[in-house]
Amino acid sequence: MSPPVVLSLMTFCFLFFGYLGVPVPFALMAGVFVGASLIDVSLAAIIQKMFDGVDSEALLAIPFFLLVGELMSSANVVVRVANLSLALVGHIRGGLSQVVTVFSMFFSEMSGSTTADVAVISRALAGPMKREGYNPAFIAAIIASASTIAALVPPSITAVVYGAVGNVSIAGLFMAGVVPGLMIGFGLMIYCYFFGPPGTRRSRASIGEVALAARAAALPMMIPIILLGGILTGWFTPTEAGVVAVVWIIAVIIPALNRGHLRLLPYDFCLAGLIFSLPLITIGAANAFGWMLAYMRGAIVIADWIISIAGNNPHFIMLMLVLLFTIIGDFIEPVPTIIIFMPLVNMLTKVGDINPVHMGVVLIATLAFGLITPPYGLVLLMASKFVGVRFSQALRAALPIYVVFLATIAFAIYFPKVVLWLPKQVIPESVGCFKAPDGPGYICPK
Amino acid sequence: MGIAGKLLLSRQRHLKWRALDLLEMALMIICGGALFGFSVTVSFDILTRTMGHPWLWLQEVTSTLFIYAIFIGAAVATRRNDHLYLSALSDALQGIPRLIVEVIVRVVVLSVAVCLVYFGYINYLRGFGSFRLPSGTPIASLYAAIPLSGALIALFTIEQLVNGFRNGFDNPEPPEEPLPITSLESILSSRDES
Repeated sequence: MSPPVVLSLMTFCFLFFGYLGVPVPFALMAGVFVGASLIDVSLAAIIQKMFDGVDSEALLAIPFFLLVGELMSSANVVVRVANLSLALVGHIRGGLSQVVTVFSMFFSEMSGSTTADVAVISRALAGPMKREGYNPAFIAAIIASASTIAALVPPSITAVVYGAVGNVSIAGLFMAGVVPGLMIGFGLMIYCYFFGPPGTRRSRASIGEVALAARAAALPMMIPIILLGGILTGWFTPTEAGVVAVVWIIAVIIPALNRGHLRLLPYDFCLAGLIFSLPLITIGAANAFGWMLAYMRGAIVIADWIISIAGNNPHFIMLMLVLLFTIIGDFIEPVPTIIIFMPLVNMLTKVGDINPVHMGVVLIATLAFGLITPPYGLVLLMASKFVGVRFSQALRAALPIYVVFLATIAFAIYFPKVVLWLPKQVIPESVGCFKAPDGPGYICPK
Repeated sequence: MGIAGKLLLSRQRHLKWRALDLLEMALMIICGGALFGFSVTVSFDILTRTMGHPWLWLQEVTSTLFIYAIFIGAAVATRRNDHLYLSALSDALQGIPRLIVEVIVRVVVLSVAVCLVYFGYINYLRGFGSFRLPSGTPIASLYAAIPLSGALIALFTIEQLVNGFRNGFDNPEPPEEPLPITSLESILSSRDES
C-alpha cells in the first residue's frame, strides 16, 4: 500500500477513534498499529518507539512542575497570590477581569500547566465575578484566555516537551516565551480595560495594603524565583529546579501557611503520580505516530509542499507552519501535535535558517491559541464547564480576544530580535551564541 | 474520609468490580511511591554531584521509577477514566447508540492493550541483549513495564465491558469533588466593608 494511503488511514483512525471517545494515547496507538500492520514495520519496533518517546531525561521535569502545581492548589495557598493581584490591579477599569489576568501571570510561573491554571483560577475567581454581575460567557472566555499564558512562560510544560523532543534548549524556550507571554497578559488587560465590562469600582489599594498582600504571598511567590533563578544562574537544570521548588513547598510553604495539609501529602503524591503519566503516555504514543510519519516520508512531502509555496523565506515558512498548527491545534492537543510534527518543523527550521528557539516560541504561542479555538479548545471547554456556561456562548465571548493572540503570534514571527533578546542576554548559548575566542562577550548568529 | 478512601474514585461505580478496588488503590500508591522515590533520588543526585562524589546508580533508579510510574499510571487511569480525550461523544448519547459507541471504544482500547502485551513481550525479550550502566542490568527490566501495563489496561477494560453489559453504561454520576481553593469572596467582602 502506498505511503500516502497508509498515512491517511492512520490519521483517519486516530481522529475517528479519538472523536468517538477513545482516550488520546490509545487512539494514537490504534492508528499506528493499523498503519504499521499494512507495511513492513514490526509492531515490536513500534512499541520500542513508544518507549523511546518517554525515556528522556528532559521529560523528567514534567512530573515535578505538575507536582508544584498540584501542591500549590491542594494546600490552598494560592488565594494569597490572588489577593496580591487584587491589591495590585483590582482598582483598574475591568476590576476582577484584570485580577484574573494578573493572577494567571503569577500562577503560570508556578504551575506551567494551562489546565491547572484554568481549574485554580475558575475556583478562586469565577464565583466572585458572577456575583459582581459579569456575564458568565465573558468570565469563561477571559479565564481560558489568561490560562494559556502558562503554555508560554516558564516553567511551561509545553516548552519542556518541545525542547526535549526537538533537541532545543529548554531554558532558551523558557526565556524566549516571556515576551509573548507578557504580551498576551498585557494585551488581555488592555482588552478588558477598553472593551470588557467595567466591573465594580474599587478604590486603589494603599501602599500599606499592597505591602501586606505582598508579604502574605511572599513564600509562594518565591517559587518562580527558585525556578527561574536556578535555571538562569546555571545552578540547576529545569528538572532539578522543579525538585528544589517541590522541596521548598513541602519544607517551607506548607508548614508555614497550612500545616494541617502535611498529613495529606501522600495523597498529593499519589494523585500527581497519576496525573503526570497522562501527558507522558500520550508523548510515547505520539512519538510512535511521528516516527511512522517520518518513516513514510510524510514530513518530507509536507515540507516540500510548504517550501514550494514559501521558498526559503523564514517569515513565509513560519506563517505556513502557524497556519498548519492552527488547523491541527483545533483538533489535537499541543503535546501530540509537537511530537508528531517535530521532524517537519526541524526540516523547515533548517531550510529557512530560523533560530530553533524562535521557531519553538512561535509554534508554542500558536498551540496556546489553539486551546481556546473550536472545535477542540480544551482550556475554553474546561473554563465553560467550571463557570457553568455553554461552550458556544463562551466561544462567542472569546472571539474578539483572538485579536490579542493573533497580534502576539505576528509580532513573534516578525520581531525575532525582541523575542530572543532575553535568552541572548541571560543564556546566550541557548540561542546558538558561543564565547568569542579573542576576548569577552559572545558571537551570535544573525 | 481517609487518604486510602480518597484514592478510590466514586465515578463510574456501576462499571467496576469491588474486587478490583484494592488493585486500583495499590496502583495509585505505587504511582505516588514512584514519584516520591524519584523526587528523592533526583535530590540526592544533585547533592552528591554538588559534593563532587556523584552516585551514578541514582540515575538508573530514577529512570526505572519514572518509566514504571508512567505505564502503571496509564493503566490505572483507564479504570478511573482519567485519560485525555478529544471528545465525550458517548456522554451525549442514550440507549442503543450509546451502547454501540461505548462498546466500540472499549474494543479499540482492548485491542491496543492486547498489542501492548504481545508485542511489548517480544520487545521485552529483545531487551535482554542490551544492558544499563553502571549496574549491567538488562534493559528488559525497563521494557517489562509495557506488557505489564497492557495486561492491566486489558483487565480494566474487560471489567468495564462486562459491567457495562450488565448494568448499562449510562448512569447518573455523583458531582465531582471541587478543588480545595478558597474563593476570593471572603477577601473581597472584608475589603469592601472596610
